[in-house]
Amino acid sequence: MPDSVTAGQAGTGVTGVVAPATGVAGTGVSPALLELDAVCKSFGKVVVADNLSLAVGEAELVGIVGPNGAGKSSLFGLIAGDLAPSSGHIFFAGKGVTKADAAARCRLGIGRTFQVPKPFGAMTVFENVLVAVQQGGGLRGRASYAAAVEVLERTGLAADVNLPAERLGLLSRKRLEVARALATRPRLLLLDEVAGGLTDPEVAQLADIVRAISAEGIAIIWIEHVVHALTATVSRLLCLSGGLIIGDGEPETVLAMPAVREVFLGTEVTAELRAADPVTGPAPASAADREQA
Amino acid sequence: MSAVGQDTQAAGGQHPRVAARGPAAGRVVTRSRRSALWAGLAAVVAIAILGYLPYLVFSDTTGLMVQFFQLLIMASMWNLLAGYAGLVSVGHQAFIGLGAYFVVLLAMHGLSPFTAIPIATAAAGVVGLPVWWLVSRLRSGYFAITMWVIASVCMLIIIQISSLGSGTGIALSGLTQSPTLLAADTYWATLAVAVLAIAGIYALLRSRLGLALTAIRDDEAGAKSIGGRVGSVQRLVFLVTALGCGAAGALYAISQQFIVPTAAFDVSFTAEMIFITIIGGIGTIEGPIIGTIVFFILQQTLSADGTWYWIVLGLVAIAVAIWAPRGIWGLVSEKFGIRLFPVGYYVWPAGEQPRRLLARSARP
Repeated sequence: MPDSVTAGQAGTGVTGVVAPATGVAGTGVSPALLELDAVCKSFGKVVVADNLSLAVGEAELVGIVGPNGAGKSSLFGLIAGDLAPSSGHIFFAGKGVTKADAAARCRLGIGRTFQVPKPFGAMTVFENVLVAVQQGGGLRGRASYAAAVEVLERTGLAADVNLPAERLGLLSRKRLEVARALATRPRLLLLDEVAGGLTDPEVAQLADIVRAISAEGIAIIWIEHVVHALTATVSRLLCLSGGLIIGDGEPETVLAMPAVREVFLGTEVTAELRAADPVTGPAPASAADREQA
Repeated sequence: MSAVGQDTQAAGGQHPRVAARGPAAGRVVTRSRRSALWAGLAAVVAIAILGYLPYLVFSDTTGLMVQFFQLLIMASMWNLLAGYAGLVSVGHQAFIGLGAYFVVLLAMHGLSPFTAIPIATAAAGVVGLPVWWLVSRLRSGYFAITMWVIASVCMLIIIQISSLGSGTGIALSGLTQSPTLLAADTYWATLAVAVLAIAGIYALLRSRLGLALTAIRDDEAGAKSIGGRVGSVQRLVFLVTALGCGAAGALYAISQQFIVPTAAFDVSFTAEMIFITIIGGIGTIEGPIIGTIVFFILQQTLSADGTWYWIVLGLVAIAVAIWAPRGIWGLVSEKFGIRLFPVGYYVWPAGEQPRRLLARSARP
């Protein structure tokens, strides 16, 4: 990250409302929607973010893979405001949000889902989404009802509107997570393993929903263990390990990197890659490896 | 666990107004499935009968009802605080005692105790502000115990003030009515505060803020992630409960006419609020009402025999914890699919709408 950002940040003190330099790493000419600048976070000896810098542009669809404990969900915690970084800065839509809490960041336009769904169990599906529209989306009255119904129809939950959320099955719970995050009218949506534990057809349904959301111009960062769901959907893939980004680029390129293969122990990823692109797979991949090295 | 659900599906609650309806992508959204005209009328009739009670019964009966409504106010406040905002306090007797002593203080300065009720209530709320500033950074057990400490500190401060009777207590002055009229006035004041408290909680929970509060009840981290301002919602609820308990304390002073610090700041007030809320059903408006009825019956029938009273209370608490973790109201609403206070929403299937609306539009 450019030093000027850090210097400006220090100059304004704790509020830190500083527009990050435009045209920063990875996004070419357009300014980044989300920018992490040298973010560090560790729990005791476990490092979940090691001097992490990352920029995500408007309407970008980014996938994140990585082994368990790589810091994927913690990265979402840092972006969404559930975790405070021990050092570094986070910018969203040109504003410093490092000190903002989770609710404030949601209102700024960062929507998120949780790996383990956190439905409001005794509330109905409609109420779950309505409260998100009203709190995060800032709508009231009839406008909020209409927005909630619309989100529920888009996420395929229209038949369950009056059902208490605790009676939903896993697929519907995952959908409700997406619906609720979407209802806050985000500019950036953080999806944390929304396909985990689902069957292949269910994963395909969710991937369709994700693509449709992306097509509306909402930026998405999607963490997923189900790698084939990601590679089929995202345009950019990050691989996280030990709090470090060890791969960043086109999905095929990233999955072919030796470092990435190493953390995945050559299992699913290699098979995926071969299946996806048996002819041209190996050669460009090794070229990318050399570049990376 | 799959329980509470059915009611919203199988039936709605009952309240006379379809407060919120509007076309939402071709679907009508109302606050309950059934038109609730009858339940609303029943509530009005019940309040009217309760209001007429002093003309029908002797003052010992209305005296019992005064105790009942005071318990109901306190338990409803504790339920709002713990059941919705997730703040478990064992120190809300602080506001009860303060409300009581504010009335005594105002009466000493020549104000009628009944006129003093709203002022004492507001004063208890004002005290709630710095108390919240102190305890808001604490969670769970630390919050609970610090509240208890604050209640004890309030009591110790009052004991130091000799003009308020120190530790031996003080009589409330300014009650000049005849005993019969005094009993009736006390009853009406208590009934009015109880109705206001329940109606206020109902209005709060039906509002936009109430939906956020219900979300906090169900999952605090989830509520934050959807933009819910958990901290400021909790502050508001804390202040509302400080006001409510202050009002209950003011009524306590008037009904007792003589107050002692150790009794006005007694932790058993909070113990009763907790018991009532748990057995009635925490996190529902109906719970504390049912709980107060059950507790009051137990208290009136058993309190002559001190030992058995406590044993039965303990057994009831254990039984509810094991067989009805959502309280008596939880069981009832699950079984019969009813809600007396519909605070939720019902989305009508596309093309359908409440019958009452159809009936209305059919009329010329």
